[in-house]
Amino acid sequence: MRRNFRLLMILLVLVCFLLAISPAQQQVTLRIIWWGSQDRHNRTLKVIDLFQKKYPNIKIVAEYTGWSEYYTKLTTMAAGGNLPDIMQQDHAYLRGWVEKGFLLPLDDLVAQGVINLKDVAKSIVDSGKLKGKLYAINLGNNSQAFAIDPEIFRKAGVPLPPTLWTWEDFKRIARIIHRKLGIYGAAENLGDHNVFRVWTIENGGYLFSDDGKSLGYEDDNVYANFYRMLLELQDEGVIPSRDVEIARGSVSPEQRFICLGKSAMQFTWSNQLTAMSKALKGKQLRLYMLPTLKGKVGNFLKPSMFFAINAKTKYPKEAATFIDFFINDIEAAKILMAERGVPISKRVQLALKPLLSPVEKEIFNFISIVEKYGAPTPAPDPERWQEIYNNVYTPLYDQIMYKKITPEEAAKKFREQVIQILKR
Amino acid sequence: MKKLTKKKKHDLLMGYIFVSPWLIGFIAFIIFPLVTSLYLSFTRYDILTSPRWIGFQNWIRMFTQDPRFWSATKATFKYVLFEVPLRLIFAFIVALIFSMKESKILNLYRAIYYIPSLIGGSVAIAVVWRQIWGYDGIINAFLSIFGIHGINWLGDTRTAIWTLILLAVWQFGSPMLIFLAALKQVPTELYEAATIDGASFWKRLTSITLPMITPVILFNLINQMIHGFMAFTQSYIITQGGPLDSTLFYAVYMYRKAFNDFEMGYASALAWFMLALVGLFTIIIFKTSNRWVYYEAEEGV
Repeated sequence: MRRNFRLLMILLVLVCFLLAISPAQQQVTLRIIWWGSQDRHNRTLKVIDLFQKKYPNIKIVAEYTGWSEYYTKLTTMAAGGNLPDIMQQDHAYLRGWVEKGFLLPLDDLVAQGVINLKDVAKSIVDSGKLKGKLYAINLGNNSQAFAIDPEIFRKAGVPLPPTLWTWEDFKRIARIIHRKLGIYGAAENLGDHNVFRVWTIENGGYLFSDDGKSLGYEDDNVYANFYRMLLELQDEGVIPSRDVEIARGSVSPEQRFICLGKSAMQFTWSNQLTAMSKALKGKQLRLYMLPTLKGKVGNFLKPSMFFAINAKTKYPKEAATFIDFFINDIEAAKILMAERGVPISKRVQLALKPLLSPVEKEIFNFISIVEKYGAPTPAPDPERWQEIYNNVYTPLYDQIMYKKITPEEAAKKFREQVIQILKR
Repeated sequence: MKKLTKKKKHDLLMGYIFVSPWLIGFIAFIIFPLVTSLYLSFTRYDILTSPRWIGFQNWIRMFTQDPRFWSATKATFKYVLFEVPLRLIFAFIVALIFSMKESKILNLYRAIYYIPSLIGGSVAIAVVWRQIWGYDGIINAFLSIFGIHGINWLGDTRTAIWTLILLAVWQFGSPMLIFLAALKQVPTELYEAATIDGASFWKRLTSITLPMITPVILFNLINQMIHGFMAFTQSYIITQGGPLDSTLFYAVYMYRKAFNDFEMGYASALAWFMLALVGLFTIIIFKTSNRWVYYEAEEGV
C-alpha cells in the first residue's frame, strides 16, 4: 500500500512537471516556399526574422528557388504529400491548384479577422477568388509596360509620348530612333504573350474566353495583324530579328538591350524596373502603358503573385497570421518595398510613400495610372496554358519570325492547336 | 526436379541474402520504375491527380497529332548520325597516334586528352560553349578579323546543331582509351611480317589494324549510339532546343513534357518509344556485325 502511494506521488509529480512545461513547448513550425531573385530571397528572409521575433512561438522554415524550376519542385512535393504550409502561387497556375484541392479556402480566416483585408480594394481581393471562394492573397500589383529611355528620346529629338499613345505613335517613334541613332527602336521579345494579351483586349476580346474553354477572340485577323506588325518592324531592323533573340537565350532584366544602351524601348513587367534600373546605374527609365488601339486601352493590373495555404496544413491560423503580417505590417513592408509589385494595402502604400526611391515612385505612379485607365483583370488562365505556351504559342511565334509560315497560316494553326489541347 | 538437400538450401538462402542489397536496389530502382512507366504510358497522369487509363491515346497522339515529336526525333537522328561516326573516327586517329610510340610525355598527353570527357557533359562546359558560339562570342570576334561578320551560329537552324555535334566530338576521351587498349592488343608479329612483305602504312592499317580491332569498334559504336540517343545537357543548356526545334533532342522533349507540361503519361510513352528505337538499332547493328566483325578465336587453326 505504501509502495503504491509512493508510486502515485511520483506519477503525480511527473504529470505536474509535464503540464508545467508543455505550454512552453507549443512551438509551431511552418514551412514556406517561394520563387524569386536573390534580392527577393534576402528581403523575404529578413521579414521572416522580423515575424519570428514578434511571434516567438512560431518558427518558419523557408525554401526558395528561381522561377524556372519552381513548379516542378512544388508539383513533386504535392505528389509526395509534402507541401509546405504557405506557398507562393502564380496567377496562371491558380486554377489548376484550386481545382485539385490543394489550397485552403481563406474566407473563414478573413471573417475571423486573422487576415485583415480592410485596406484592400475589392477588385484586388477578388483576383484570388475562384468559384466564389477566396483561395489566395495577392501580394502586389503589376502591369504590362514599356520601359523607355528618355535620354535616347532626347538624343533623337523625339518628344516623350502622351500617356495614351497609339501603336501608330509607337511605330513612328521606333522608326525615327532607329534611323537617327542606328540602335533598336524597341527590343527583345515584343511578341511576348503578355503583349499579345493586351493586343487582344484592345481588339475587344481576350486571349481566352472567360470559362477558359476556347480562345477569347473571334477573328483570326487579330492574331495575324499582330504578327504582321512585328514582321514589318523586324524587316526594317527596328526591332532585333528573332534569331538574334533566340541566340541570346532567355536574358534577365539586367541584360536586356535597353540596359546596354542598344534600344530605346522595352516591354517589361512594371516591378522589373527595379532590376533594370540597377543595371543602368542611376539612369532613370520611364514606364508607359502599352500603346492603345482605336482609343482602347488593353493594359490591366495583374496580381504579381499570391500566397496560399496548404489545404492539409496543421496550423491554418498561424499560417494566416504570417500572411496577414506580410501584407499589413508596416515594418515588413519597409523591407519588402515594391519588390513583389505595389503593395495591396492602401494604408501600407501611404506609409511607404515618403520612403520611395525615384524608381519605386515611378512604379507606384505607373500602377495608379493603370488603375485609372486600365481594363479589368481577366479570369485566370486555363489549366493547360503552360502547355499551350510551350508547344503552340512560342513555336508559332518563332516560325512566323523565321518566315517558315505566314501570319495568316499561323493564326489558323494557333486556333486549331489551342482548341485541341483545351478539349483533351 | 531433384530435391535440394538441407545444406544446399541453406547455401542458396545465404547466397540470396548476400546479393540482396543489389537485388533490392535492382527491383526498387529499376524493375519497379520500368514497369510503372509502361503502365503510365497508357494513362493520363499529371502527378497531382491519380493516373487515368486512356488506352492507346498517348501513342496515337504521338504519331498523328504531335509535330514536335517528329521534330525531336529528326533532330536526334541527325545528331546521332553525325556525332557518333565523327567522334569514333576522331578517337581512333588520336588513339592510333598514341599507340605508335611509347614515352612518358605521351602518357601525360593521354591524360590531358581525356579531360574533355570528364568535364564535357557538365553544365559549366555547356554554358561556356554557349558563350563561345554566341552572337558576341569568341568565334565571331575571331572571324571579324577576317572581315566575316555576324554569323548567328546558335540562332540559325542550319548551324545550331553543328555546334552541339562539335562539342560532342571534342569529348572523344572514353572511346579513345578503349581504342588504345585494343590497338595494344594487336600482335606485333603481324606488323613485322607485313613490313617484311613490303606493306605500306596504309595497307597495314586497313588489312591488319582495322580488322583486328573490329570487336572493339562494334562495342564503341553501340555504346556511343546509345549515349547519342540519350544526349540532353547540350541541347537543354546551349540552344534550349531552338531555333525552331532544330536541336530539340528527344530526351529534352521528354523532360519538358514530363516536368514543364506535367504530362507524365505522355512522357512515359515517349520514353518507351525511345527504348524500342534504341533496341531496334542495337539489334540491327548486332545482326550486321557478323559480316564485318572479325573474332580471332573463331578462325581456329
